[in-house]
Amino acid sequence: MTPPVLSLARPVGAPRGKPKGKLRRNFVGLLFLAPAIVLIGIFTITPFAQAILLSFQSWDGVSPDTPFVGWENYGAVFVNGAFWASMQNVAVFAVFGFFIGNGVAIAMAVAVNKIGRAQAFFRTVFYLPGVLSVVVVGLIFSSLFAPQTGVLNRLLALAGLGDLQQNWLGDPALALPSVVAVFIWFHWGFGFLLFLAGLQDIPAELYEAAELDGARAWARFRFITWPQLAPVTTIVSLLTLLAALQVFGTVQVLTNGGPGYHTMVPTLQIYAEAFVNHEYGTAAAMSVLFGGALVLLSLLQLAVSARRSRT
Amino acid sequence: MSLQNTELAERGISVRAEGSREPQPSPLRRRVRADRVGLYGLLAVAALIALFPLLWMVSGSLQSLDELLAGRSLLPSDLRWDNYITAWVQGDLGMYLVNSVTYTLAAVAGILVVSSMAGYALARLEFWGKQAFTFLILAVMIIPAPAMFLAQYRLLVSLGLSNSRTGYVLILITSGIPMATLIMRSFFASQPKDLEEAAAIDGASPLKIFTRVILPLAKPGLAAVAVIQGLGAWNVYLMALVIFDDNSLMPIQRGLTSFTSADTPQQQILLAATTISIVPVIVFYLLAQKHIVKGIGAGALK
Repeated sequence: MTPPVLSLARPVGAPRGKPKGKLRRNFVGLLFLAPAIVLIGIFTITPFAQAILLSFQSWDGVSPDTPFVGWENYGAVFVNGAFWASMQNVAVFAVFGFFIGNGVAIAMAVAVNKIGRAQAFFRTVFYLPGVLSVVVVGLIFSSLFAPQTGVLNRLLALAGLGDLQQNWLGDPALALPSVVAVFIWFHWGFGFLLFLAGLQDIPAELYEAAELDGARAWARFRFITWPQLAPVTTIVSLLTLLAALQVFGTVQVLTNGGPGYHTMVPTLQIYAEAFVNHEYGTAAAMSVLFGGALVLLSLLQLAVSARRSRT
Repeated sequence: MSLQNTELAERGISVRAEGSREPQPSPLRRRVRADRVGLYGLLAVAALIALFPLLWMVSGSLQSLDELLAGRSLLPSDLRWDNYITAWVQGDLGMYLVNSVTYTLAAVAGILVVSSMAGYALARLEFWGKQAFTFLILAVMIIPAPAMFLAQYRLLVSLGLSNSRTGYVLILITSGIPMATLIMRSFFASQPKDLEEAAAIDGASPLKIFTRVILPLAKPGLAAVAVIQGLGAWNVYLMALVIFDDNSLMPIQRGLTSFTSADTPQQQILLAATTISIVPVIVFYLLAQKHIVKGIGAGALK
């Protein structure tokens, strides 16, 4: 890429003797990087370490006194039924959010990539929910799902399906599926955008050749689209899985974890334990356990995809 | 790109039709057309599902309470624009929107400055510990919010920055830095080096090269970062919930929830408030779409 002039440029650009130049270069590089490193150090790495420390302390959120209590907080977490219920719920979130959300995303990306006209329109519309805030989504769907006045139940009545009317967010059996459905509505556009970008990078010649060989639509998907999309699929999988596992706002605004603990998720549980129950130590122990699990999951997925790309 | 695909697909089909030299190519063509109709039908249904909740929100926000509760039709019988005035006044939306705009602008400005410098250093400068710092920035992205927000809050308390604008903006900036730095790094790495080398030969200092030569050419990268981080900062909820106690400091997301819990505002007013709150973000999205697609792609795929 670089023209041969480059090799001449160095000695001209650094005429002041080597050791000093090297020192200066290190200094300049670190100077450019310093603001990022300082901020990350103070506001990310310090709290990360502090969370671990706090999980062995007792703190009510106000008092300057934070005595060490050993493993007591972890003991409290292990007998905390709500926390383990929240772990189960988030597993449901992850599995359904992951498969249905990404299934819809990839199907719609293939469909949009196929049509000639109106591509921009569908792309705009499909990602639109993704730019909203969790609060907005929560408020809209609470109103759609309302048992008496909600549009969903009214539409069912209008269609003659009055028997299917439900208390969508209040029924213990339906609350979690309803919240998961909202979550999917909210988030599938992200995977869709990435899949679409990936599809548009697949060389058209591949399809042309397959078509001439008489490959049917499914065969073309299976043997061209799917393998060509593999890198995109890897990153979308990781990001959507992590997003589903960290769900907070959608649940907080729609049900606040209820009815009972039927829609409780770990992030909301950690939040409530700290800011409602004022048990910051126990909350920190939860965040170490749950955050640690997320870190392990990311590392595992990265390792698997690294190995796959090597072979 | 996609247009090309379709053209090729169509050409492929017509080649086949000619090649087989059948007297009537119409059944094949008819099947292709049916496929196409099905495809558009499917997409239209998906688009309706994506849009319906939003359309209904707007419709509900223009109804009277009686009409909304009776629920005889999906559309308002007469447009109650006064709901919007009530929402604006009762919900203090002006104040919350100003807060949100301020936080978003401050966060984006901070992220752009810090991440363009860091991205440039990682892409172009040679210095001690570069590999280690690159790894650190990648590693930080793996730390999830649930593992940190509590201790971030505690840190802000001990710094006297809880319930403060400064504390909130610093958290916003820091959480945006890793992704933004990686986008800027890959952007700078893809740029030609000629100009900065010419400037170096002329004896310009590294800082001068960066501000006069590098940054003016980095607009596409900066725009992608700004758009993605702007949307992110605007929509932050968890940290706003954790940090702020005073209504007067809250961004719009938090303002809406405190409006919801305050002496039960009526449904149609709440819907009007929600509609008002998304106008800025929808307008921004429609204007900046290209950068969004590019930014998400650059952030996630590179």
